[in-house]
Amino acid sequence: MNNNFFEVKNVSFKAGGQNKVNNVSFSIENEGDIVCLLGPSGIGKTTILRSIAGLEKIETGSIQLKGKTLSSNKTNIEPEDRNISLSFQENCLFPHYTVEKNIYLGAERKNSNKKKKINIKKTIKLLNIGKILDHYPHQISAGEAQRVSLARSLASQPDLLLLDEPLSNVDQSFKEEIQVQLKQILKDLKITTIIVTHDSYEAFYLGNKCGIILNKQLKQFDDPYNVYHFPNSVEVVNFLNRGILIPAKVTGENSLENKDLGTIKGNFIKYYPKGTNVKLLLQPEDLEHDDKSNLKLEVVDRKFRGTNFIYTLKTNSNLLIPVFVHSHHMHQHEVDEKFGIKRPINIDHIVCF
Amino acid sequence: MFKKFNIWYTSSFIISFIVAIPILTVFTSFFEDTSNYFEILKQTFLAEYIFNSFILLIGVLLLTFIIGTGCAYLVSFYQFPGVNFFKWALILSFAVPPYIYAYSLTAFFENYGTAFTILKHLFGEANYNSSIPKFDGMFGAILSLSFSLFSYVYILTRASFYYQSQSLIDLGKNLGFSKTKSFFSIILPSARPAIVAGLSLVAMETLSDFGAVSFFGINTLTTGIYNAWTGFDDLAFANQLSFYLLIFILAIFILENYSRKKARYHSQTKGGFKQKEKTKLNKSNSFWAFAACFVVLFFSFIFPLSQMLYWTIIFPKNFFDLKIFDLFTNTIYLVLLSSSALIIFSFITNYGNRVSRSKLLNILTTFSISGYAIPGVILAVAFITFIAWFDNTVISFFELKSIKKLFIGSILGLVLVYFIRFYSLACNGIKSGYEKINRSIDESAYLIGYSKLKTFLNIHVSYLRNSILLIGMLISLEVVRELPITLILRPFNFETFATTAYIYASQDLLEAAAVPSLCLIMIASFFILLTSKYILRDNSE
Repeated sequence: MNNNFFEVKNVSFKAGGQNKVNNVSFSIENEGDIVCLLGPSGIGKTTILRSIAGLEKIETGSIQLKGKTLSSNKTNIEPEDRNISLSFQENCLFPHYTVEKNIYLGAERKNSNKKKKINIKKTIKLLNIGKILDHYPHQISAGEAQRVSLARSLASQPDLLLLDEPLSNVDQSFKEEIQVQLKQILKDLKITTIIVTHDSYEAFYLGNKCGIILNKQLKQFDDPYNVYHFPNSVEVVNFLNRGILIPAKVTGENSLENKDLGTIKGNFIKYYPKGTNVKLLLQPEDLEHDDKSNLKLEVVDRKFRGTNFIYTLKTNSNLLIPVFVHSHHMHQHEVDEKFGIKRPINIDHIVCF
Repeated sequence: MFKKFNIWYTSSFIISFIVAIPILTVFTSFFEDTSNYFEILKQTFLAEYIFNSFILLIGVLLLTFIIGTGCAYLVSFYQFPGVNFFKWALILSFAVPPYIYAYSLTAFFENYGTAFTILKHLFGEANYNSSIPKFDGMFGAILSLSFSLFSYVYILTRASFYYQSQSLIDLGKNLGFSKTKSFFSIILPSARPAIVAGLSLVAMETLSDFGAVSFFGINTLTTGIYNAWTGFDDLAFANQLSFYLLIFILAIFILENYSRKKARYHSQTKGGFKQKEKTKLNKSNSFWAFAACFVVLFFSFIFPLSQMLYWTIIFPKNFFDLKIFDLFTNTIYLVLLSSSALIIFSFITNYGNRVSRSKLLNILTTFSISGYAIPGVILAVAFITFIAWFDNTVISFFELKSIKKLFIGSILGLVLVYFIRFYSLACNGIKSGYEKINRSIDESAYLIGYSKLKTFLNIHVSYLRNSILLIGMLISLEVVRELPITLILRPFNFETFATTAYIYASQDLLEAAAVPSLCLIMIASFFILLTSKYILRDNSE
């Protein structure tokens, strides 16, 4: 018998008769943990949440919460009996009730086994929806509706909270503030949560664990740090879009050689015999700018991203390499100019495929 | 979780099946042998029945199209004195059933009728009869049906015009179109589905009308059906005739669909709707717009109402002779029973369809709502036939007590056939309300711990309360006006305003028919006034 708080075991998720995600297994060890599922649109993330909530059936595997099987090919507990709350991406507020009534309907759920009760007024304040309590859903914006839906889900204090793109309609300026507060509430109330998002920053910030769903599979399920720094497949690298894969040859225990960049040093996360041809993951922060360096690459594009620039540099073999440079850096380079890269190149951990 | 055979599925299935039985009876008896009457009729009047029905249909469709879209255009696009009054007043014509309109028309223009009396008072004694036009026969029937039914076209077209985006109108201006060209190239085509929907309802009502055509003595398929059953007791032939009716209706739908090809009449834009600004008319145009709307209102509502009122006043004896209280309670009793049964059971079937997502149930429900297309006469006859067959076979086989008395000539039977006839109205009304409720609303309710029953009662019923009110009122309106079913299936000595008016009129006692007709118009007007806000859809949910 396992001691996981929540567990999905070998489940294939279906929607509308079509297989969406196959053979998924992951677990949440502790109550109060937050898991984020990342993946491109239409990949089946919402289907996973709907199946966990009991709105879709599963035919293989099992879903368990607190040791109790919720779904399997034999068991299927009704959604209203699961004590799982799902906050939908689209507006699903009861249109004929005010915002306040909508939120308090969530609190009607009989789940008094929770030790710590949610303070609904505080939640309303935190989500900045106090001024619209007497409004009806059609009178509020999409972002406000999403926050009200979130408040309603929180008010029901479920055993498992499922959030489908909870902040996708929230203004960028307000998003980070809500993320901080949301994380705090979830931790305080020990509400175990699965969040579906396509925003990797949101996932990395909120999640204790992150799952990457690609090509109908859960490709990686790990700590956010590991997902970012130690992606386990080329697909994950491409999805996170955090770097490029360049050809290199293993030249020693801690070194590789690329014909354009020369020697690259660092710690391999996986053993490769000397002489092996690999694809090295080169992330924008791996290279350092140095105008005095004799390794000069041509600037083909420069994007201003506030705190930094992202230069795209072209090597002699026509590889396009992204490099971060702090935006306070005095030496700004225009397109077609040469850009120096510090040598030797040192990468903390070397990820190869 | 959506177990197909739950309580919702089962009850929905049973309700839809019961509604479908008489409809199935109509279909099956189509293949039965007919009596000799068919041969006699085929050689004599059948061609006339079809010809008359066709002429009636064309005439009514043409007139309702002109009146309905014309009025809808004026009140939707122009600002002139009284426009807000006409907007809702024009739907009052619903309160006047075609047969009552027919009585008024005849009473006013007949020899020594109301028109004669007015002329005599104004200009003294003379023989005015020869110079007063006579609106009887086919022309009278077309006028009666058109002025009574044009509201279907008016309401649906006005709603379509109302939701036509200003952007569309601006587009016409941008392209340099004149107002006339904009109307024919942009406004009218984009309202086409609504106009067709309105005309389809008019077509069904026209082809199944019994009261007005029988009053004017026109032989149509509907009167033929009635005669086949009452005169020759030949249901199979009655049904074959009703099939011709359905073919008429089907042909209209096919023609419209074919001519529409792949054109679409709405765009799926989010937030692209821009409220129209009405054009303010100058003085002379305002007068003409006002006059046009007033003429329609006058002829469709004020004229029949005044005629009935006039007779009620000049023949007060009829008023006191009539047991108005009894007729009122009988009518309201039927209204309450039918509308509550229809609303409750339609709600159950809609919710059953929603939660079970069963294709079979969906097909059965769709089939069962086709009762609206079958004339009331046919439904009543089919119902009697089915009960008689069931009693003679199943009940007799088990040696149980006969059920004929329970269903034929009883309130239960009457309400049951009303139920079948108006089921589509209730079912579709609630369905369209349900379509506004996203499925994720149900799911949200389940996820905050609501059971299906609690979701149904606390979320759906409370959300759809306005729709329920509207549907209740529309059913009431239909029941108050309904004639052939009530005439055939009512219990002995049980009369409503509609049957009383018909009986007097069929005995040529039009003055006596005025009081029940007036009462009927007033009750129907009351229901219309209560629902006008929702019918006009300016403040729809």
